[in-house]
Amino acid sequence: MTEEERNDGLEDLFRKKLEENEMETEGALTSRVMHSLQRREFFRFNLLRFNIYYLTFSLAALTVAGLILLTGPRDAEEASGDGLPQQAVTAARTDEPVLQGEVPQAGDTMKTSALRVRAATAQDEASGTVDTSGTITEKITGRETAIPHTRPVAETVKVSTVNTAGINTATGRTGPGNINPAAGTTAGGRIAADTTAMILSFETSASSGCVPLHVSFACNAEENARISWTFGDGGTTSLRNPDYIFDIPGSYRVTLTAIDSRGHASVASAVIEVWERPKAAFEVRKNEPFDEGDKVVFVNLSSGAAEYLWDFGDGVFSALPDPSHRYEQMGKYNVMLIAWSAEGCADSVMVSDLLTDRGMYIRFPNAFIPNSGGPTGGYYNLRTDEESSVFHPVASGVSEYNLKIYSKAGLMVFGSDDTEVGWDGYYRGELCAPGVYVWKVRGRYRDGREFIMAGDVTLLKY
Amino acid sequence: MMSEQHIIDGCIRHNRKAQQALWRQHSGYLLAVCMRYATDRPEAEDMLQEAFLKIYFNIGEYSGTGSFRGWLRKVTVNTAITCYHRNLRYKHNVDIDDYVSTETGTAGFEEDFCNAEDLYRVLGELSPGYRMVFNLYAIEGYMHHEIAEMLGIDVNTSKSQYSRARAILRKKLEDLADMNKR
Repeated sequence: MTEEERNDGLEDLFRKKLEENEMETEGALTSRVMHSLQRREFFRFNLLRFNIYYLTFSLAALTVAGLILLTGPRDAEEASGDGLPQQAVTAARTDEPVLQGEVPQAGDTMKTSALRVRAATAQDEASGTVDTSGTITEKITGRETAIPHTRPVAETVKVSTVNTAGINTATGRTGPGNINPAAGTTAGGRIAADTTAMILSFETSASSGCVPLHVSFACNAEENARISWTFGDGGTTSLRNPDYIFDIPGSYRVTLTAIDSRGHASVASAVIEVWERPKAAFEVRKNEPFDEGDKVVFVNLSSGAAEYLWDFGDGVFSALPDPSHRYEQMGKYNVMLIAWSAEGCADSVMVSDLLTDRGMYIRFPNAFIPNSGGPTGGYYNLRTDEESSVFHPVASGVSEYNLKIYSKAGLMVFGSDDTEVGWDGYYRGELCAPGVYVWKVRGRYRDGREFIMAGDVTLLKY
Repeated sequence: MMSEQHIIDGCIRHNRKAQQALWRQHSGYLLAVCMRYATDRPEAEDMLQEAFLKIYFNIGEYSGTGSFRGWLRKVTVNTAITCYHRNLRYKHNVDIDDYVSTETGTAGFEEDFCNAEDLYRVLGELSPGYRMVFNLYAIEGYMHHEIAEMLGIDVNTSKSQYSRARAILRKKLEDLADMNKR
């Protein structure tokens, strides 16, 4: 940068025109910046300004307060909404069992409001029975003033409940739900009433069994009761004596609900155990070809089973998991495996017509791809000839064998008396043209049976 | 009207009135500063908003020595540099025009042929890197080695960019002058 270049006054121009320049910042920009400032400030801690920390703190405080209110007397409103008298009331029958309430502590709103519910209970009864029941009123002086409620409520020391069964009600802190305020004899006495009514029950044809389990149910509910069954696996019915099939193993709670003519509901239930069945399976391993007296090995592939029984089909049985067996003669044998689970559920599987053909066979492929690198002599290994470069049979139990292969022109390109030697696709050292060739085989199995077969094979280009 | 010290103290206490007064008094000036560093007005406004937030939250750092306006401007320029670095990630292609060598005369510019708007426009047409270097060197008065440090570039890069920026600006202003004559 030379001085000369600067003499044109470019910098001066910019500096003069722009350095102290001011621009109009219109209202929209102003409010945008101010809003963004307020937002930023809200997320910064500052003692002097309402921000997120204040908000968090007050929310936390509110939550705690709310929890205190909720866990204490959920029914505080209910009680105060019942229009209780400002007088503390205690309803007690001397000849009745007595529910002992707690004496509220001054200023302890949680406890007092819990007691209010009991007070409400007491009041319901007391208002009906006040003449006959010898009401004792007990004022708790000096406490009401300590409770910061505009509407003072009854604080009970003793509350009585009507209990037809004469069972002693628990003393001490009883939850509000334990007492039904409206009905000492109807709703509250339902459990007791059930003892006098017929007990609902039902009978099942089975309480456990193997899947699929068929169970018949019979209930003893009164004749015109409304019945509903739930079987615990999603199934329901309103039949009186249903039959049901559980087709998935598991433990099911079957529930019977009966609503009698007076509208009272009763419930009975039972558990049905449905056991899983084992899965029986096995595999047969034997020599091929098979000679009389050879050992047959049975490989047990069952699952979920604890005990087995094998029926080899020739009158011999075994309880071994993996037995082997020698058959005295060739023949059609049906082998059966029965598997039992620990619960006694059974499954069986059968393999039929074992040892029928003695494992003697001969089969030919219909195409092969000769090795293009030169003749191999036709020797092959069943395991390594994966690219099928040699045309050869898959044979078992063959004692005599003669294979001839002809081209379409009728030229015999290959012949073999050994199943172990196949055609490598060469004729006199030259690779034969790709195409279809005809083969013919004649031979004899070890048991003397003769076989004559013919077919064609396609020589494919590598 | 609040005095400068009142405004500063008020802003330290996050007093809304003081904050608004600060905005009223200085936003126009600082917007003009931002305009020099921005491609267009919206970008300048974003820059200004960021600069003001920095100012509001860091006003306590103003030592009281030197002019308050100078401090505000420094914060704003630093904000512009931050924005430049941030944008560098997204805008790394330079207009081909910037590389065309331009014949530059040596005739001086008369002051009246153009106004501030024109200058903002030609600055805005520069690539961000050139604009940055030109602003810092020609107007803010930083030395090349300072600019190189601020922008994280080589001193020679700063010099050559300045030279090219200058040439481009000159060409553009000459064109502008020609157009105005006609």
